[in-house]
Amino acid sequence: MEAALTGPPEWLERIVLAAIPPQAREGVAGDLWETYQNPWQYAVEAFDTVPFLVWSQMRRNLNLPALMLQGALIFICLGGPVTLLLMPLLLLRDAYQPVTRPCPRHAIRQAILLSAGAMVLLFAIMSARSTFSVRAGVDSFTWLSLFLAALFLSPFLCLFRAGLIMRGDRAPQLGLRDLSKDALAQAYENFQQRVFCRNLLEGMALVFAAASGFFLDWNTLLVASFILTALCLMLESVPRLSRACDFTALRSRYQRDLARQEQLRRFLRWLWFAPVLLALHARLAGDGLVGSGLTQGRPVSALLDCVAAAILCFLVAALNRENGGQVREQIGALDRMREAGTPDLG
Amino acid sequence: MESLGQFEQIVLTAILALDGNAYGVTIHAKVEELSRPKKATRGAVYATLDRMEDKGLISSWLSEPTKERGGRSRRHYRIEKSGEKALKDSARTAQRLIETIAQNLGGLAWKPR
Repeated sequence: MEAALTGPPEWLERIVLAAIPPQAREGVAGDLWETYQNPWQYAVEAFDTVPFLVWSQMRRNLNLPALMLQGALIFICLGGPVTLLLMPLLLLRDAYQPVTRPCPRHAIRQAILLSAGAMVLLFAIMSARSTFSVRAGVDSFTWLSLFLAALFLSPFLCLFRAGLIMRGDRAPQLGLRDLSKDALAQAYENFQQRVFCRNLLEGMALVFAAASGFFLDWNTLLVASFILTALCLMLESVPRLSRACDFTALRSRYQRDLARQEQLRRFLRWLWFAPVLLALHARLAGDGLVGSGLTQGRPVSALLDCVAAAILCFLVAALNRENGGQVREQIGALDRMREAGTPDLG
Repeated sequence: MESLGQFEQIVLTAILALDGNAYGVTIHAKVEELSRPKKATRGAVYATLDRMEDKGLISSWLSEPTKERGGRSRRHYRIEKSGEKALKDSARTAQRLIETIAQNLGGLAWKPR
């Protein structure tokens, strides 16, 4: 292929880069650059290509059990129309999963945004007229306390995110160094053993939780989900390594298994927190926020439950982002890895 | 046993033909050549490559970044054993189809393009 003499204008390239899902960005953006003729051709080519890429990444990253669980939780807590609105957004978010762990600046900004959002919500409710039923029966001192609680939420969430990032920094990484085929096979075997032990332990923990849930009057569907997931986890085993594999095939298999296990973990993290979210929802119903109006209910308690649910979702999403980012960094490192002692043919 | 769709067969054949130089741009060019007179969009090629990689028919890796690509890497593709097997099976089926059509439409009445 002839090398292009010039590239696209910077502003156009930025738009195109933002539109391409991160997992396909490196290869596709380079291909578009290589065939660049003029800005119009570049834009048309990118416009033609991006929908396929988004669809493909949606399919690749689709985690149906996790999506169904999220959908069910949203449906129970917020109703049908909100679920219909949020599901396509959740699918799109899957397509645009970043290939790296979130940088500290972004992570802290998200934490601050969440607590600022809580403060704005409280301020809006405080300023509302008496027609706003939530305000009924609450004195100014209580409102001020709630407002300050939301203010102090910010450092707590920032600390949590910072802790996750520091834990990720300490986690062992594959690194960018080249490996021999045997070293890669050994790393893959170690990974398989870790996965097997972890799945077995987590499966047993799920059975224990389901048994406890049975006595604690959990939702039957939730108990069934726990038991089914536990069974799947205990039966789950990563395919054994074939010694006939060469370096490239082995690397691909390792990448696929890493991605598959991360999908499973994403679902499990939501599953573990689902009983707490459902319990909060039940409390909200008791507080009077769900169903009939709040005038007879407990508005402060309802608001605190809402904030607790939002924080819980933030925590699960943060855990998923951090751990997912770590796995995608590992997959990226494998992508760039060469077999030690062989020339680069790329 | 993995059965291949028509477009998958074309993309796999393109990777096979390109040997060590199979990446987005060259695969798309080869696919256009093989599927003439039909046009193939580059996005469809990428989506098919992703799908086949998930099925384990091909594998990919990134090369070193180059200047002519704006400092970006090429994603190279290689056909795997299962891909070769699936492609051979598809070729056998296509061969049987060609023979049957040639027998029924006559050797001169039907010519492969």
